[in-house]
Amino acid sequence: MSFWLLFLISVVAGFIGAMSGMGGGVILIPALTLLGVDIKHAIAVSIVSVIATSSGSASAYVREHITNLKVGMFLEMFTIIGALVGASITLVSGHRILFILFGIVLLASWLTLFFERRHEWRPAARQDAVSRWLELEGSYYDEAIRETINYRGVRAYFGGPLMFMAGLIAGLLGIGAGALKVLIHDLVMKLPPKVSTTTSNLIIGVTALAGTSVYLSAGLINPGMAAPVILGVLGGALMGTRVLVRLTNQAVRYFFMVVLFILGVQMIVRGIMGVG
Amino acid sequence: MRTHSFDMEKLVGYILVIGVLLSIALITAGLAWGWVETGTLGAHYTVSGMTLSTFLISNLRQLTTAFTYVLLINLGIAALMLTPFVRVLASVLYFAFAEHNWKYTAFTAFVLAVLTYSLFLR
Repeated sequence: MSFWLLFLISVVAGFIGAMSGMGGGVILIPALTLLGVDIKHAIAVSIVSVIATSSGSASAYVREHITNLKVGMFLEMFTIIGALVGASITLVSGHRILFILFGIVLLASWLTLFFERRHEWRPAARQDAVSRWLELEGSYYDEAIRETINYRGVRAYFGGPLMFMAGLIAGLLGIGAGALKVLIHDLVMKLPPKVSTTTSNLIIGVTALAGTSVYLSAGLINPGMAAPVILGVLGGALMGTRVLVRLTNQAVRYFFMVVLFILGVQMIVRGIMGVG
Repeated sequence: MRTHSFDMEKLVGYILVIGVLLSIALITAGLAWGWVETGTLGAHYTVSGMTLSTFLISNLRQLTTAFTYVLLINLGIAALMLTPFVRVLASVLYFAFAEHNWKYTAFTAFVLAVLTYSLFLR
């Protein structure tokens, strides 16, 4: 595949991934497989690019003191083990099952996007003993409302094991699985949305590294292919983040949701029909 | 929690941004060098049967023996892979020596141990 085609696909994937908040992998992997790349190689190259986008975006939020490092460090213990297990499963899985799983996860993430943020965040009234012992609390200054938000994380005993599953999906399918991680932070651990998103970004990088190690040792990472993908996805994500700040058009949002829905369905159909 | 003037968040943020920028710079330089040398943009090669550690070591060894555009691309990818690793290493040192928080020193050390294991994974 030519350098420019690979680069352009990656730019578009990074752009849509950042705009939709689902990450570049969910677009990149289906697109690469449509162009004839083996799904396991597409997953492997995608997970390398996930390190780049996650580290790039996490760097700004961490410096602004929005990310909760302790929540991140605690949950990483679960996600990295999940990623190692997930990537190992991919190595022994058949191609058709990977297509179907990818489609299912894409549609499930799409649903979370569809119903996202219908609930309003409220601080937890009480913190359980485990979460208190884990020091899962913090505060940050919210520029939008000019107020310091204090919060306490709860139900860490559920959040940890659930994050193992999120890590497993990330390693298995070569994606950040950010939508799932944010959902766990939001609904289970009652973290404020900004803390959820930014802490999820931090965790994604380490989780992707664990998965990358498995794919590299299996000989699935092609540096010649990874180079334009890393540059493209990162560039696209940067553009997507910039545009996102200015763009609130619902029509654009629906367009991306339709694209993601079609990609999810076509992955499932290709898996069932055995069209790699 | 003990009070300390060290800003861990800033350090983590800078590690991440420096790692990503270094990676982009090396990959871009490698691709540009390859373009000048071969007349085509992009490199076509695979890495097989290497752990992350052997990938790193073999590329670092080649710095003095076979300095090519492929090596620059590889080093760029290696820099990217090492970025989260360095971030976790810095976190262990911070929790152990700046914050004296043994609970989180243990947690981050566990993450570091698993990542180190993954470096040697075959």
